[in-house]
Amino acid sequence: MKLQHHLGGLENLGPVNLETRVFVEDWEKRIFGIHTAMVAESAHLSDALARYPVKDLPTTFRNDWTWASLRTGAEDMQPFEYFKFRYYEKWLGGISQFFIDQGYITSDELNEKIGYYRSNPDAELPTKPNEDIGKQIDAYLKQGDSGYHPLAAPTRFSVGDTVRIANPEAVDHTRLPGYLRNKPGTIDLVYPGAFNYFVSTGVDGIGDPMPVYRVAFKPADIWGEGKSEVNSTIYADLYEAYVQPAN
Amino acid sequence: MTDLFQFDKDREASSAAKVRALEALLIEKGVLGSDSVDAVLQHFETMAGPFNGAKIVARAWVDPDYKKRLVADTPKAIAELDLPVGMAGAEGEHMAAVANDEDVHNLIICTLCSCYPWPVLGLPPYWYKDPVFRARGVREPRAVLREFGIAVPETKEVKVWDSSAQIRWFVVPERPANTEGFSEEQLASLVTPESMMGVALVAAPAP
Repeated sequence: MKLQHHLGGLENLGPVNLETRVFVEDWEKRIFGIHTAMVAESAHLSDALARYPVKDLPTTFRNDWTWASLRTGAEDMQPFEYFKFRYYEKWLGGISQFFIDQGYITSDELNEKIGYYRSNPDAELPTKPNEDIGKQIDAYLKQGDSGYHPLAAPTRFSVGDTVRIANPEAVDHTRLPGYLRNKPGTIDLVYPGAFNYFVSTGVDGIGDPMPVYRVAFKPADIWGEGKSEVNSTIYADLYEAYVQPAN
Repeated sequence: MTDLFQFDKDREASSAAKVRALEALLIEKGVLGSDSVDAVLQHFETMAGPFNGAKIVARAWVDPDYKKRLVADTPKAIAELDLPVGMAGAEGEHMAAVANDEDVHNLIICTLCSCYPWPVLGLPPYWYKDPVFRARGVREPRAVLREFGIAVPETKEVKVWDSSAQIRWFVVPERPANTEGFSEEQLASLVTPESMMGVALVAAPAP
């Protein structure tokens, strides 16, 4: 069991953070930009609905890099470190390690370069613009990467059905919020079509195109009466693999 | 809760040097162009941001039929407006709006990560990404909303939307008082990202 899969409902954490800025340090913008450029160059986009020509893109990047990559890394963190480090600190750690693990850079050359920029914080980046990558970034941001597919078979559940949420074996990455495991709910909406996920999550069950349901939950069914607030409903969008008949 | 942890004194300088070193190496190795990161950031300054969401909300306030269409088929209703290209782009491929009214207050959350409707709201603020909000918002939304400065009476239902699959949610907040005769542009200027995620109300301007 991974704490990051079970954040919903965790108690005694203290007050919420009221910070309304997106970036609290300028360097955070750069790692956000690096991540998003990687997604725009990701090999998986050649099969996306928009059929991006990433195979012909003049980049040395040849991996898949999706939200699943970043999320899997965050879910794999030591839980105390997950709480310790700010959002973009986690991204910076995960993305740097990815490039080292995949052999794009070595840790020695990264450390040497870090030393250089520590001593010369105002030193410029190399100048090597790449118009084609810029166009692909623009195309990806404007067209996106929908997981939509036409529905291949009838959906298993219909609006109004009472269901129970599955409790699959915990794996590296999931889109099933832990607090919903084994809980009863009601199908509130069947989304038109079917949706794939970026990767297969194995025994967890998602990846291939499948229906997605909006499921309504009573807080008391999840947290118990004493731990719930009155007059409230929780809705979650759940892939069909996570939804089971009530009995 | 970060008081519980010890950080290196040079925490920010160290991250700043590391990200610069990484970007420099990726440019040298041909992974990125030296203009790639700026191309991403530029998109969020001019094309995708809360300035789009604010215009959508303002239209919904002045046109009740538009508001109905917006909630019934969000992408289609957004496409009616004169907004930048890309309103069904990255992280907004499938968006859905929910409207606050006298009976319901909506709160958007992503307990597993930070799913957020980029085209209409831009990038998520820190409060939304924070694990404490994500842990607490789903079990005690009213308590969390009080910390943000909103008291939701028990007679009003709180609906919490956990973004865990393809949909990116946003909220149409209630139109504030003292805005009779306001133009859509004036109305849009009152709308904040927090009000479009449900942790703030839109404040009424001074009469």
